[in-house]
Order: sequence, then C-alpha cells, then structure tokens
Amino acid sequence: MTRQSINPGRVDWSGENPGIYLKHSAEDENYCVLSLFFRVVLSPYGKGHAAIVLAAPDADKGWPDETNFIITDNQRMMRWIVDGWVTRMPTFIGRTGLQHMSWLNLDSVEREPGDLKSDYREILRGSGVTLEMHWMDMGEPLPVEVTVENSATKAHEMYSVFLEAKSASISVNGSRLAGTVQSRQFFGRSMSTAFLAFSETWVTPEHLQE
Amino acid sequence: MPLAEPITPGVVDWTGENPGILLKNDDGSFAAMALFFRVAWSPVGQGQVLLLYASPDEAEASAEAPNLMLSDNHDLSGYLLENFIGRLAAFRDAPAFTGLTHLVAQSVHTSGDPMSHRYSETVSGEGYSVELVWERLETPRALELMPDQVGSGIHTMYTVLVPAQSAQIIVNGRSLPGKLGTRVQAGFETTTAFLYFSETWIIPPVDESRE
Repeated sequence: MTRQSINPGRVDWSGENPGIYLKHSAEDENYCVLSLFFRVVLSPYGKGHAAIVLAAPDADKGWPDETNFIITDNQRMMRWIVDGWVTRMPTFIGRTGLQHMSWLNLDSVEREPGDLKSDYREILRGSGVTLEMHWMDMGEPLPVEVTVENSATKAHEMYSVFLEAKSASISVNGSRLAGTVQSRQFFGRSMSTAFLAFSETWVTPEHLQE
Repeated sequence: MPLAEPITPGVVDWTGENPGILLKNDDGSFAAMALFFRVAWSPVGQGQVLLLYASPDEAEASAEAPNLMLSDNHDLSGYLLENFIGRLAAFRDAPAFTGLTHLVAQSVHTSGDPMSHRYSETVSGEGYSVELVWERLETPRALELMPDQVGSGIHTMYTVLVPAQSAQIIVNGRSLPGKLGTRVQAGFETTTAFLYFSETWIIPPVDESRE
C-alpha cells in the first residue's frame, strides 16, 4: 500500500484525546473507571473541551448518585462525538453508565503540562465539580496512523501521537477514584491504560460517508 | 490514507499547530511572512511561538515593521529556529532570519472557528500586538507528506490543512502590505494563507528516508 498524500476522506474532528482506564486488580476483566479528556480544535460543531468519567461504568445512574458524568463547554459537539465515537469504542461498548451519565457544564479547564515526562494534568471545573486527571511517568511519543480496520470505532481513520503514562490518577472534588493503571495490548505492544494523545485527527473515508 | 502498519516508524520531532500567512509584493517577492506555533509536545516542552518577518529583506528592521519571535517558551523558540525554521528555505534564506528580535509573549488569544468564516491568533508582549487573521476558510483536508514533499526535506508529516482565501497580518493595529499568492502542496494548489492543526513532524529511520 502506498501513501495518498491528500486523504480523500472527510476530516471529522481534530484535537487532543488522552485517557485513563483503571482496574481494581490486573485479574479483573473489566475496568472500574473509564475516563477520557477532549480538547477539540476543529469540528463541524465548533471547538470545545470535555471529560467523561465513568467510575461506576455498569450503573444506570449519573452524578451525584454515582460518579458517572460528562463535563463540557460544548454540549452539542460532545453529543455528536459521544454518539459517533465513544459509543463505538470497545472499552465503552455496552457500559450502562455511558447512557446514564449526567451532562454537566464546564466553566474552566486548566492544563499543567509539567515537563511532559514526569507529570501532566488537566483540571476541569464546573457545575460544582472539580475534576483532576493526572498522568505520570510518560514514555516517548509514538506516532500512529490507523486504518478503519485498526481503529477503535471501525468506522474512521485516525492519526495521533500517543505517550503512555506508567501511572495515573483521577480525583473528583479532591477524592481519588479507586483503581490503578494496568497494561494492555496496543497495536502489538504492551502499553499502559493511561495515555496522552496529541494531534489526533479522525477522518471518515469516502466509502463510509453518508 | 493511513498505512496498514499503525505505528509510524521514526522519532517525533514536535507536534501541534502551525498556521501561517505569506504576503507577496507585485513582483512575487515576499512582503511579509508569519508563522505561529502552538506546540503540544517537543523535547523542550509545550509553548506558543510567533515568528514575524514584517521586513523579510532587512537584517535590521525598524520598530514599525519588525522581524521578531514572540514566545512563552524561550527554549522552544531556539529549538524551532535551529531544527525547523532554519530548514525552510523561504525563511532561512531571507535576510530577516539573522536579525530576529526575541521577545516574551505575555498573552496569546485565539478567536473564531476554523470550520466557519474567520479565525485569528493574537500574540502580545513587550510593546507588540500581532494579529494573524484568516478568512474565507476552505474545507479541512488531512495530509500525509513524505520528506520530499515538505519544506524541511527531512520529515514525514501529518497535518490538517484549512486553506484561507483571505488573510491579514496586523502589527499594533496596522495591516501589513502585500497580498496572498498561490502555492502547490503535494500536487494540490492552495494559497499562501493556511491553518494547520494536529501537525506532527517525524524524523524517519535512516533507511526509510533514503527510499
């Protein structure tokens, strides 16, 4: 296969999309916490920020009964991304909490990038919630280009730069969520379930456009 | 389109945003040149850098038409100047390249929407406010370019290009003279005003770069 310099597909959205998935123990089949952060710089619905936190992924309740919420400054854009992307990701498929999470308004987001090696934080505030996502002990940046067959959604092509974080934590209103980072297979490599993802672009190929 | 092997071989040099505006005189020479960098990852950290040649043909420019770098990360300015801008012939070969004034950016403000009509970056500091304005924006396109298709000549590069049909460089409220030209990138004719998002520069392994 040779490169096609100008991708004929439709650029859907572009930005940053890091995540942290935690388990109580390595033997557990399912994650006990699923979280994703979004800094979207280009989409048909404008720009925006968001974080999804499912600390009770199989519960049919949202915040504050359970720590299941999405917090965003662009609800329309995130409704589109949740429906088109997040619900198709294997980690999120079938998780009841995704359908029942509360939609919260985001007032501010603050990035503390540190040295990009030992320490990186995104801090979001709004609707009475302060969420801190903290990635630590990062590896070298790994450029990826993903075909539809290899992509998480099975419907898009994707470009990104991943940095695995060997440890990570999530705190909501000062309380750290239970669980620890594990390792998983990622394109034939063993990598952490916590990762930064910069310069991420999702493209719908011509043959899959409606 | 992405290749079947999902991990691109090579070392990431830097990644982020890299829009620009190149204004030309009637004779085709550059009247003013500007690049903006919003770097999400580099070996010297994150940061934002504006490169402005308001007087491309002057090694010693006036305060009214300065040649400067405005940055919130001094190390990043130096890294980009040496490893990236210095490889772009249009910038490296201009007399302005050797006479840049380095200033601290005190604020950077983005406005507009890259999938709408207008987008701008305003960088201010040490007595200067430089606004880059892109208008009449086109549909975004994802590009995958090889070393022989990029200005640096040494990188594999992914990016999202949003061409603009109209643009201005405004320095302390004064719009710099010059007009947009055309250029060809990977066989695609576009303008000299461009937004580039999610741009990743990768130094390929030696054997691949020789292919």
